[in-house]
Amino acid sequence: MRDPYSVLGVSPDASDQEIKKAYRELARKYHPDNYVNNPLADLAEEKMKEVNEAYEAIQRQRSGGGSGGGYQYQSSSSSYSNAGSGYQQSYGGANPTFARVRSMINGGDLNGAERLLQEVPQKNGEWYFLMGSIAYRRGWLDEAMQNYNLAVQMDPGNMEYRQALAMMQQGGAVYRPYGGGGGMDSLDCCTTMLCLNCLCGGCN
Amino acid sequence: MFGYVRPLREELKCRDFDLYRATYCGLCRAMRRRYGWLAPMFLNYDFTFLALLLAPAEERFTPCRGRCHANPLIKKPMCQTDPGLETAADKSVVLTWWQLRDKAEDEGFLPGLTARLLAILLKPSYRKAARRQPEFDRLVRECLEQLHRLEEEKIPSLDRPAHTFALLLQGAAPKTGEEGRDRAMEQMLYHLGRWIYLLDAQDDLEEDLAQGRYNPVAARFGPEGDGEAMKRTLDHSRNLMCGAAQLMEFGCRWPVIENILYFGLPLVQRAVLDGSWKQIKNQRIWRHHT
Repeated sequence: MRDPYSVLGVSPDASDQEIKKAYRELARKYHPDNYVNNPLADLAEEKMKEVNEAYEAIQRQRSGGGSGGGYQYQSSSSSYSNAGSGYQQSYGGANPTFARVRSMINGGDLNGAERLLQEVPQKNGEWYFLMGSIAYRRGWLDEAMQNYNLAVQMDPGNMEYRQALAMMQQGGAVYRPYGGGGGMDSLDCCTTMLCLNCLCGGCN
Repeated sequence: MFGYVRPLREELKCRDFDLYRATYCGLCRAMRRRYGWLAPMFLNYDFTFLALLLAPAEERFTPCRGRCHANPLIKKPMCQTDPGLETAADKSVVLTWWQLRDKAEDEGFLPGLTARLLAILLKPSYRKAARRQPEFDRLVRECLEQLHRLEEEKIPSLDRPAHTFALLLQGAAPKTGEEGRDRAMEQMLYHLGRWIYLLDAQDDLEEDLAQGRYNPVAARFGPEGDGEAMKRTLDHSRNLMCGAAQLMEFGCRWPVIENILYFGLPLVQRAVLDGSWKQIKNQRIWRHHT
């Protein structure tokens, strides 16, 4: 295992406060909410695990070998852990083909999933939702949005479809450094033109 | 390419700005040393970003001083030539040449004359670069041919032509063998390519309509385009880029890369969408006589 301090990016003589701060920032960065349906969700989960372990190890060391305890993201992360990787959860599925398509999407076989889906004669809300999911995994964001839209139109009561559409409408989820506000938002105070001057002008 | 990928100077620390400029100058020098005087003329910020991404994370920044190509009387700090920079130089030349060819074909005989001439002049450099990067050369040719076909079909989709261009850029990163990193890099470059292609389409919307050329934004949303929808899909691609970048190690280059992703790209995107980009795109991030 890597040195827990270097995992958190702090020096071994950092104060408890600093360590906690570094840990919180990393936990915010790799939080599963930022990687919902993202093909890289598993990598983020690994990172999160590494960060959690490092934090626990430091806590143990500092409390003289006692139990870790303290502030933990672990619980919330494990409760989220399905969100990133699973289309299958909460879905028994009336149509066995759709269940197979879901597992193919999770396994990364997008072409296979699409072929299978094309053979389904009846196009209902779930069909469009799955088409949208395939498009999303490919990075075809516009087509994903169109398909999620149709899915919601056909089946307005379905929370899964509505969540997917809502995620598209806000342009996806992402971690923003520079505090919670986000890089760009903090620039909104100046006019666009001023910002563009910053972008290109200046010399030394 | 297009020069959309640039940092926001104001938010860069001095040392990170130095690193950025040394990478730019180092790439320029690598192009000149490998390909002669013409190739560095095509150097741009997009290629510099590629060079930043391709540099090994553990490599420290130790600039040396070298003569500037644009003005040989002065010396500037430059990144030392290393394999990452050389790869970026090779790929820049391959991509530039194919884009010139593409432009020459697209624009007909007279308007395409400049591009054709430049392509002829650059051909020896291209041949050399293609020998060094045969796989990338093949990929670029295939993707641009495919893009041509889609454009001729006048395909009413954003994603499909953008996908082809995105695959091209995705191929620009050599595999490291580390599965997680390669996947993250692929996703990042894919969405960078998608973002560049769509932003360029948005930027060219009026001109393409006036010339009667195919434009994916017009084909998808009609001649007026749809600024809202474009913003959303461009934002989303950027977010996926950022998410991927956060999972990789870039060592000392991270602050610059982060600045480009979180400040530079959003500002350029905003400028293209509100139409102010045309006036500012030729301004430099720095002046030459520094």
